[in-house]
Amino acid sequence: MDWQPLFLSLKLAAVSTFLLIILAAPLAYALSLARFVGKAFLEALINLPMALPPTVLGFYLLVIMGPKGFLGRFWETITGSPLVFTFQGIVIALLIYCLPFAIQPMKAAFEKIDRSMLESAYVLGLSPLATFLRVIIPNSISGLAAAAILVFIHSIGAFGVLLMVGGSIPGETKVVSIAIYEAVESLAYREAGRMCLVLIPISYSFLLLLNLITRRSRAWS
Amino acid sequence: MRRFILFFFTLVLFVYPYPTVAGESLHIAVAANFMQPFKEIAKLFESENPVSVNATFASSGHLTGQIMNGAPYDIFLSADEERPAALSQKGFAEKPFVYARGRVVLWSAKKELCGVSGWQEVVKHPSVKKIAVASPKVAPYGAAAMAAIEQSSLQNMIKHKLVYPENIAQAFQYAATESVDAAFCALSSALSEQGKKGCYFEVGEAPPIVQGACVLMRAKDRQTVNKFANFLNSPEANSIKKKYGYK
Repeated sequence: MDWQPLFLSLKLAAVSTFLLIILAAPLAYALSLARFVGKAFLEALINLPMALPPTVLGFYLLVIMGPKGFLGRFWETITGSPLVFTFQGIVIALLIYCLPFAIQPMKAAFEKIDRSMLESAYVLGLSPLATFLRVIIPNSISGLAAAAILVFIHSIGAFGVLLMVGGSIPGETKVVSIAIYEAVESLAYREAGRMCLVLIPISYSFLLLLNLITRRSRAWS
Repeated sequence: MRRFILFFFTLVLFVYPYPTVAGESLHIAVAANFMQPFKEIAKLFESENPVSVNATFASSGHLTGQIMNGAPYDIFLSADEERPAALSQKGFAEKPFVYARGRVVLWSAKKELCGVSGWQEVVKHPSVKKIAVASPKVAPYGAAAMAAIEQSSLQNMIKHKLVYPENIAQAFQYAATESVDAAFCALSSALSEQGKKGCYFEVGEAPPIVQGACVLMRAKDRQTVNKFANFLNSPEANSIKKKYGYK
């Protein structure tokens, strides 16, 4: 069995999860605090990748990441090489695709934090940033862990988006979901079956972990 | 509760697939490269016969897999001879026949490449950073392109530039939208309206693509199906094929 697509999927999922949690946490926190006009519209916009067919997302990502799109041109001026059909390109595609799965659990966790704890922190002299790092994050860790696991699982399972913007390059963008698809297409059913059998326990154990974490946090609150 | 049940049944009634057309319909699986000529041929056939022709366009490998798993097609137009032959041998289809001969070419939307001498120079050109080749395992045109690349010993030199879309039409689409700088595609794409906006290079090293078709065992109305199969090689169909570069 060709293990390269599986390792690529795991690497991609790890990188995307790491980046997305760091980037989305402040946004989720802002959403949990702020009440402003148009908040509902912003939330719906963030959830859009979850509602659209992945091929729609993939199509638009191909346009903006391509050599004529704003993201693609920006990338090319900075790095000198194209963004589309690269590992970095599919990481960015997944950041957008998985954004709602990161924001929702984190926002819910942040909303559950007791305001009086934050006020005590401010009274005791902690800056907003220090409060965020030393009070908020430790108290919402299960929500963050849930977000991380959801993003990880969806990154491994991403197919439609990556089919459009990946280009199926072995070692670079040919992730296991696409490798399975291509094996089925070329009638290599045994190869496809092997890859599926390996993938199932991996995804299942992450889901089990998610269940245990969320159950534990519910027991505390 | 009663209203909910009533609503649900009304919904089911509307959603249930009623046969809408009184005439017959043919379901044809067509390899992606033959899309444009096929649409014209189908329209011509429909104007002369009380049949509606429905086509599905995908890579030959994709369609073969579907057929082997029971997809309800009447005829399969592949981009090679091997797949129809394999289907016939396994009992899914009648004996195959040739319906077109195509060629793979290298096409680019970038006008500045048009003056370059040959396809090998284009793929080696520094401004060509990404090249699309349809996945060789499922698309015969992609396999032919890879054969040409290997025969010219360019494989190692350009391997890092290659991108593998699922079928030949997607390869052309990537090049037409300039997501890639050049693509190996069917001559018919290069000769299409969109294709005329760019320029193409002959790939002599690539073997000619002999495209075979076969009538599938699942086909019910054999008379109409065989009529269409014969129509594919009629003089009118041949002139349409010639327009798109097929022989």
